[in-house]
Amino acid sequence: MNKFDYDVVVIGSGPSGIGAATALVKAGVKNIVVFERETRIGGIPRHTNHPSFGLLVFKRPMSGPKFIKCLLRQCPGVHFETTTTVVAVKRNGQLDLATLDGLKTIRARHIIIATGARETPRHGRLISGLRPRGIITTGALQQFVNTIKLYPFLKPVIVGTELVSFSAIWTLRAAGIKPVAMIEKNSRITAYRPAALFARLLGVPIYYNTIVADIGDMFDTRKIEILNANSESRTLACDSIIFSGNFVGENSLAHEGHLKLNSKTRIPKVDQNWLSSDLQISVVGNATHPADMGDQCYIEGKSAGVAVAAILQQGQTITDTVEVQHDEGIRLTTPSIVRIPKLGRTHFDLCMHVTKPYTGIIEIRFGDDIAYRRLHRCMPARRVRLKNISLNNSDLNDQAEIHISLKSRSRKHSDKLPGH
Amino acid sequence: MVRTTSMNKKPVRTNGNGNIAGLSFDVIVIGGGVVGCAITRNFALSGARVLMLERGADILSGASKANSAILHTGFDAPSDSLELACIKSGYDAYLDLAPRLNLPTLKTGALIVAWNETQLAGLSQIVKKAHNNRINDVRLVDRNALLIREPGLANLALGAVEVPREFVIDPWSTPLAYLTQAVRAGAEYRFNAEVSGGTFDGNYWRLTTNANEYCGSLIINCTGTNGDHIEEICRKPDFEIRPRKGQFLVFDKSASGLINSIILPVPTAITKGVVLTKTIFGNLLLGPTAEEQVDRWEARVDHDKLRELIETGSRMLPGLRAHPVTATYAGLRPATQFADYQITATRNKNWIGVNGIRSTGLTSALGIAMYVEHLCTQNFADICKFSLAELPSWPQMPNLAQDKIRAFQKGDGTEIVCHCENVTRGEIERALSSDIPARNTEGLRRRTRAMMGRCNGFYCSARITQLLACQTSDKDPQVPEA
Repeated sequence: MNKFDYDVVVIGSGPSGIGAATALVKAGVKNIVVFERETRIGGIPRHTNHPSFGLLVFKRPMSGPKFIKCLLRQCPGVHFETTTTVVAVKRNGQLDLATLDGLKTIRARHIIIATGARETPRHGRLISGLRPRGIITTGALQQFVNTIKLYPFLKPVIVGTELVSFSAIWTLRAAGIKPVAMIEKNSRITAYRPAALFARLLGVPIYYNTIVADIGDMFDTRKIEILNANSESRTLACDSIIFSGNFVGENSLAHEGHLKLNSKTRIPKVDQNWLSSDLQISVVGNATHPADMGDQCYIEGKSAGVAVAAILQQGQTITDTVEVQHDEGIRLTTPSIVRIPKLGRTHFDLCMHVTKPYTGIIEIRFGDDIAYRRLHRCMPARRVRLKNISLNNSDLNDQAEIHISLKSRSRKHSDKLPGH
Repeated sequence: MVRTTSMNKKPVRTNGNGNIAGLSFDVIVIGGGVVGCAITRNFALSGARVLMLERGADILSGASKANSAILHTGFDAPSDSLELACIKSGYDAYLDLAPRLNLPTLKTGALIVAWNETQLAGLSQIVKKAHNNRINDVRLVDRNALLIREPGLANLALGAVEVPREFVIDPWSTPLAYLTQAVRAGAEYRFNAEVSGGTFDGNYWRLTTNANEYCGSLIINCTGTNGDHIEEICRKPDFEIRPRKGQFLVFDKSASGLINSIILPVPTAITKGVVLTKTIFGNLLLGPTAEEQVDRWEARVDHDKLRELIETGSRMLPGLRAHPVTATYAGLRPATQFADYQITATRNKNWIGVNGIRSTGLTSALGIAMYVEHLCTQNFADICKFSLAELPSWPQMPNLAQDKIRAFQKGDGTEIVCHCENVTRGEIERALSSDIPARNTEGLRRRTRAMMGRCNGFYCSARITQLLACQTSDKDPQVPEA
């Protein structure tokens, strides 16, 4: 009796979802579908026109839409269903779908959640002030300018200096709009330093050590008050504010469902094969590490797809689960749990994000062993990759945990692991 | 723009410019808040020719846009007050009307929780007062029973008073339903019409606005935070509006399961205090603060105050800390120096002032409307010879409540546009062509929930702006407010 409507349901048609579907089809898994809630396939790259895609996958820079087009060429035979929203993911592979004709319940042998990430808007940042028009995120800006060709403001201020913040400048530039300023709460930009040069060349000043203290004026001439680290305030006249970056995973399916979450980040826990606490569900891409580059997500999606195909074809291995613990300077890690086969070992790469710039040794301890130790230069909002970690089940005892430490070079020989 | 409806064939005299010629209206209601909408409805259903003037671009542009969306029993209202009377009659009327207008109600009940020994000792007083107000089912709940009902509460909770018949309702569809029904009974409304003055000739009022002049026999002042200023057109007011700001935080839908009932603190003389409640839309609401301010119109949120609120909320409900904030907002309550409502008829001036409706207006609005009707028959019997309207039409409001079937669940043949709140394109298009259509994004948000969700428009604001621009043939579409 076949109780399943699909072998695999992929939720989200961004780079990681396409990657997973591509790998599954290549591995011979036949009955798969990718659900996309928008009217078009592609996720975020759909409306990003700057050439920050394709370098890893196609060895040349390209725009988001072009990147998606190229990815789709590599996956003939993947079935996409657009304007279909997965509204709930439940146990035993059950999904609730909202379609044009209403709710439907289906079942899949395996579900891959690839729902991506979004920026933290004004409200989530608890910014003071009024609620005038024109307060948006970069994602919304890109859709205004690139999708519906609407340029409803002339003097925006950009809050944040992540890569996406400079993408906002790029998007605005294509529309002939020069931002009034960029606001950065730290003393350097979050993106690579040359990006600051890009802003300077375009004549966009960056205010460092500065926050938005107040959003003023109900009517059309708007102003915001900014405050620097010395509590000196100044007023900027602008007609819109673009809150950029500070990505969070689009994880409402997990939040309203049964998957185990990291208590701090509320990101679903996933292992080195992107399997969540429910072994029938994988979570992959920027939903688990908001937000990395599209290429990285695609590659990761493919790996997750390969892992799912292996499970469907060979069955689950019996494993022990170990939590990944880490120092405070680390924002998140993928995987956040590791499943080590009984009577075996596992081999994987670990990706992490830091909370503030860090240069020094990163060390992974597994029980009494040092499983990884290397010098890294880390910046926030950027992936740090710890390669070739190998853990052996025979080292697993009751107290064993995986702990990642940031060992600043001055304190090389600290025996005690910092508490947390 | 002049709107008339087919339901009521009363002639409306207009000239080519959309000016209302002559003395067309029996009643002019100034202010399109919840109270103004309820009063407009009541007059319209009694057959009066009624006009509502609102200075904002939509109803609910002032105090009524921001409240805690609770249907109160009045258990803690001042005994023998007009407020209590209006709350009680408004409450009963609401529960009677809601199903007929397809308005959702969610019976959560409320728990007034004591967090220290002093408060615990004060609980029996609250029960006594409630019984005195004839809310007879209010009772004490001991600590064990409380924590069984509300396992998410902090251990410091010592006991509570249970108010079983408090409801959570939809604060925006409710007044919209009132005005929609009024409009179908022949009422008219003007938005962006700010009253600046008026003259009374012994029979008729001539009100000047920024746009036109309007004439009416009877004026009802429901201008909330501007109440004393507008009242001055008629008389020297014997009260003063002292706007009290309340800031609120809306938490993500994932947080709403943390509580089952409305969690109230033991009230003080000034305020009901910080409330934790589900919203009818499936979020969790925390607030308000109570801050006096001078400005009558602008309500700012403040980072530090919001942080304090989160601290206060998390002390009561520790699980809250992990949940993200979906929205922040602030509203102004039109408090006066008095504890009670200030509703008075000025007999020789054909004027009724409905003022000082501080925080209970959503519940009491229908009660206030009945009281105003009563004042009207008492004082203005000669004006009140309205010919009774035909049987009222009962508009069916689109459901936005999470617990009832939404359009996307039924399937209306259109795709979901706002993904956080699951709003379909059909819902948006219907809101743009309804009896009182949304004319801007703010109006659209309240009518559909679009862009009200956790992403604040990251995914959908461009698309929705486009839909709005198509429908309103807006040549100069704006990026929405967030």
